[in-house]
Amino acid sequence: MQRLILTISLFVSTLVFSQNNTIAAGEKLTFTASYNMSGLLTELAEVTMVTSEVKTSKSTLLKLQCTATTYNKWDSFFKIRDLYESYVSPTTLTPFLYKRDINEGGYYKFMQYKYSHKTKTVSSIKRKKAKTGGTYDENSTVKIGTNTRDIVSTIYHIRNLDIHKATIGDRQNFTILFDNEEVIITVKYLNKETITTNLGKKECYKLAISLNNNDILKGNNDNLLWLTADANKVPVYAKFKIAVGSGELKIKSATGLKN
Amino acid sequence: MRKLCIILGFAAALLSVVLAVTPLSKIALLPAIIAFAFGLIILYLSKEQSKKVIQYIFLLAIIAISITTYKSLFNKVEVGNTEELQDRVKESEEDSKEILEDLDLEEMDTIEDVQ
Repeated sequence: MQRLILTISLFVSTLVFSQNNTIAAGEKLTFTASYNMSGLLTELAEVTMVTSEVKTSKSTLLKLQCTATTYNKWDSFFKIRDLYESYVSPTTLTPFLYKRDINEGGYYKFMQYKYSHKTKTVSSIKRKKAKTGGTYDENSTVKIGTNTRDIVSTIYHIRNLDIHKATIGDRQNFTILFDNEEVIITVKYLNKETITTNLGKKECYKLAISLNNNDILKGNNDNLLWLTADANKVPVYAKFKIAVGSGELKIKSATGLKN
Repeated sequence: MRKLCIILGFAAALLSVVLAVTPLSKIALLPAIIAFAFGLIILYLSKEQSKKVIQYIFLLAIIAISITTYKSLFNKVEVGNTEELQDRVKESEEDSKEILEDLDLEEMDTIEDVQ
């Protein structure tokens, strides 16, 4: 009997855990991305995270969209116009389609993942500029794990976690499909911290992010993310360290929050 | 020693002016300060020699600092032209709708149940 109760409670808690209570359509978060060079921070780009509802004839999906745009003073030197999109289930944030369309200083790349959760595969399209002009496509099918997500839906999934139930030092692994390869990231809950942001003084969950089988992000506790310790879990501040210098992402404005 | 300081001072002063006119204007402060420091060292080292070179170094450093200060005070941080990006967003959404139309979205419910 005890076992049965335990199983039922576990099942119910997993169901509750996977429900989206944090992200609503119509949310818009704007950030300023800065790069730190010799101790001086230079504002590079504006990053926006927008959610919206997308209706098809059969169902309604949630579109998670992230864009990165360099400030006009940089445009003549290194123009960035990046677009990341993920179409997810509004109730569980399970991704169905992911698109990455990047344009960085003349470099162009397009990636598209069409998920097939039944077969645990992703049909991937990679589009790049051909040397002779025009573009060329590379189609492939990638096998994925049960919990593999793209980078955009992972960010929103982390926001949807029940961090208030976690204890300091708890860690969780997430599998991200990036450039047709599965990358495992570990998110560790460090502590609660009150920081001053453009949205005011906020009590935040401080999380450390590390990449397990990749060395793009340096150090173990050098890549940090602060999420507000309320029902919205808005990412208000992020610090990251890469091979050449470090950078930070600061929130500028947040509108259309669910709670 | 004096010659080395003059060379380094000039190099730092020139670098600060070059950086000041680029978007990296904030970083121009570092070489400008270094140039000032070298200027003072040269002033200390050249007791009876000509001090004209110090004037040039100081002048360049002051120009760099002025440009940097002007830029940080009056240049607004604005996002560049995003029309093309907005067009891409619209195009992509239409394309995505078509792709998702083909997708078997019934599996969505089964997946939700599994999770």
